[in-house]
Amino acid sequence: MKILVVEDEKELSQSICDYLSGEQFMCEQAFDYRTALEKISLYDYACVILDITLPGGSGLDLLKDLKKDDKIDGVIIVSAKNAVDDKVNGLKAGADDYLTKPFHLMELGARVDAIIRRKAFDGKNILRFDALQLDLNQKELTVKDKKIELTKKEYELLLYFISNKNKVIAKNAIAIHLWGDNFDIADNYDFIYTHIKNLRKKLLQGGAADYIKSVYGMGYKFSLPA
Amino acid sequence: MKLFTRYNRINLVANIAVFLVASVAFYFSIRYVLVHQIDEDLQIEEDEITAFVHEHNRLPESFSVSDQVIYFIPVSQPVQRRFSTVTMTDKEDRKKEDYRRLVFGISTTGQNHQAVVSKSLEGTRGLLRSILRVSIVTILVILLVAAVLNRVLLKRLWQPFYASLKAVQNFRPSKNHSLLFPSTNIDEFNAMNETLEAITKRSRLEYLSLKTFSENASHEIQTPIAIVRSKLDLLIQDEALTESQSKTLQSAYNAVEKLSRLNGSLLLLAKIENRQFEDVQRINLKEKLQEKLEDFQELWQDKNIAVQTDLQTAVVNMNTELADILLNNLLSNAVNHNYSGGRIWIALSNDYLRIGNTSTEAKLDEEKLFQRFYKPSAGSTNNGLGLSLIQQIAEASGFRVQYRFQNEQHEFEIRFHPATK
Repeated sequence: MKILVVEDEKELSQSICDYLSGEQFMCEQAFDYRTALEKISLYDYACVILDITLPGGSGLDLLKDLKKDDKIDGVIIVSAKNAVDDKVNGLKAGADDYLTKPFHLMELGARVDAIIRRKAFDGKNILRFDALQLDLNQKELTVKDKKIELTKKEYELLLYFISNKNKVIAKNAIAIHLWGDNFDIADNYDFIYTHIKNLRKKLLQGGAADYIKSVYGMGYKFSLPA
Repeated sequence: MKLFTRYNRINLVANIAVFLVASVAFYFSIRYVLVHQIDEDLQIEEDEITAFVHEHNRLPESFSVSDQVIYFIPVSQPVQRRFSTVTMTDKEDRKKEDYRRLVFGISTTGQNHQAVVSKSLEGTRGLLRSILRVSIVTILVILLVAAVLNRVLLKRLWQPFYASLKAVQNFRPSKNHSLLFPSTNIDEFNAMNETLEAITKRSRLEYLSLKTFSENASHEIQTPIAIVRSKLDLLIQDEALTESQSKTLQSAYNAVEKLSRLNGSLLLLAKIENRQFEDVQRINLKEKLQEKLEDFQELWQDKNIAVQTDLQTAVVNMNTELADILLNNLLSNAVNHNYSGGRIWIALSNDYLRIGNTSTEAKLDEEKLFQRFYKPSAGSTNNGLGLSLIQQIAEASGFRVQYRFQNEQHEFEIRFHPATK
C-alpha cells in the first residue's frame, strides 16, 4: 500500500516516511503543489498526508482535485492551523482526518491505520492481532472466543498499540492520544503506567500472550513476543 | 472627594471666615460711630448746661425723659470730666438698660456740683441689631449664591474633562474602537485630549505589533517543534539504544513536550485576545462537565482522590472550544496541585461553577494569580499559563473568576453573570 506525504518541510516529511515505511506501507514524498498534483493524477494511494500551506498552491485545492477525480484515497490534513474553522473547512472539503502540528508520529500512524482500515475493510470492522479480535463497531475485545471487558480508555489504548505495532510508543504520545492536547497534566505519567498495567493484566488473564513490553521508562512496545 | 466639592468646601470655609471677621469689625466700627454720636449729643447737653449756669448762676432743674436723664449732686471736691457706659434700672418697668453717661463738674456761687447727663443706648442697640440682621442675611445670600453658582458653573466647565475621563476608562488596547474625545474650546482640556489620544493610539499600535509578533513567533515555532518531535519519535525506535541514551532521550522528549505545550498555550492566549473565538453558542455546562468527569475519573482513581460533586443544570453562552479548554484547565489544576488521597469538590449552578481542591501549596498571591508565567512555587512543573488561560477565557465569555483560600484549600469560582460593574 502506498502513502503520499505532501509536506514542504523536508525534515518533517522524511520523519513521517521513515516512521510509516516498513510494515505494509510504501512512502512517497512531494514537496510542492505541482509535484503533488502530478503524483495524485498519475498514481493511486491508500492514503495522502496533506499539508495545507504548500509552495505553489494550497493543499485544499489538491483535496478538491482528488475529490473531483473521484479517487477514493484517504486524506489526512496536517497543519499548523488549529482553529476549529480550519478543521471544519478541511473536513468539509473531503479530508478524512485533521491533525495539528506538532503531532506525534505514533498519533499519525494510528490515524493512517484507521483510515486504511475504514477504506479497506468496508463494513467489515473486525481487527485481528494474534489471538486478539477487536470489534471496531461494538468496541469489544474477544480473546479466543471469550469476551474481555475493557474500559473506554483501555480499548482506545489497545487500538492505538495495534495501529502502531512493533513501534516504540512514547508515554507522552499515549497521554496526548488518550486525553487530548489541552489536558494540562503535569509531567507525571504514572497514571499511564496504571492503565498499561490493567490492560496487560486483562490480556494475560484472557489467555493472550504478553504483547506489551516496556522500553526503559521511555515508552512501550506492542508486538508478538519473541 | 471630587475636585469641585473640595474647592467648594475650601471656598465656603474661607468665605465664612472672611465674613465673620468682617462682621465683627463692622459691628465694632458701627458701634463706635454710634457711641461717638451719642457722646457728641452729651457734649451738646453739657454745653447747654454750662451756658445756662453762666447766664443764670444757678443749676437748671434735674429732669429725665424716656431716653435722657440729667441730675446734679453737690460735691466738695472738683469733679473729673469723664464718659462711661452704665447699666441703670428703669424706675417704672424695672428694666435694665444701658446708658451712656457724661459726668462733669460745674460750680455755681460757692457750691461745686457734679452734673450727670445720661442718654439711653437702647436706640443705638436697636439700630445696630437691624444693621447686623441685614448684613447677616446679605452674607448668607451671597454664600448660597456663590455655592450654587460654583456647583453649576464648575460642573459645566469640567464636563469635557469627565467625558474624556470616561472615554479613557473604557479604553482597551485589545478592542478596536477609536477613542472619541469631546471637542471643547478650553485650551487645557484640548491639550489633555490631544495627549490622551496620542498615548492611546500609541499603546494600541504597540499592543498590535506585540500581538502580531507573539502570534507569528509561536506559529513559526510550531514547525521546528514538529520536526524535533518527529525526529525523537524516530530515535526511540532504535533497538540499540542503551539505558543512559534512553534517559537522555527521554529528557529531551519531555522538554520538547513542555515547549510544545507552552507554545500551544501562548498561541491560544493570542487567539483569545485576537477574538478568534467569537462564535458563541448555548452550552449545557452540566452535560459537558459530566463528560469531563468521566475522562478524569481514572486520573482521580489513580491518585486516590475523593471527588464530591453537586451539579445542577447550567446553561451558558460561550464558545464550545473555550468551554472545553476552561473545564480541562480547571480540572487539571485541581488534580495537578493535589496530593495523593486528597479531595476535589465541584459545584455547578446556573450562576457559578466552583472547583476546589486540597493541596500542600500555600495560598496563591491574589495580585499575581492570573499573570502569565506566575509560579507559586519554584519547583513547579507547569508552565504558569493555566490560570492566565482560565482568566482570559472567563473574560472573553463575560464571566468572572474568583479565588479563595481557606483551611489549606484552594477554590476557584467562575461567576457566569457577574453583577454589572
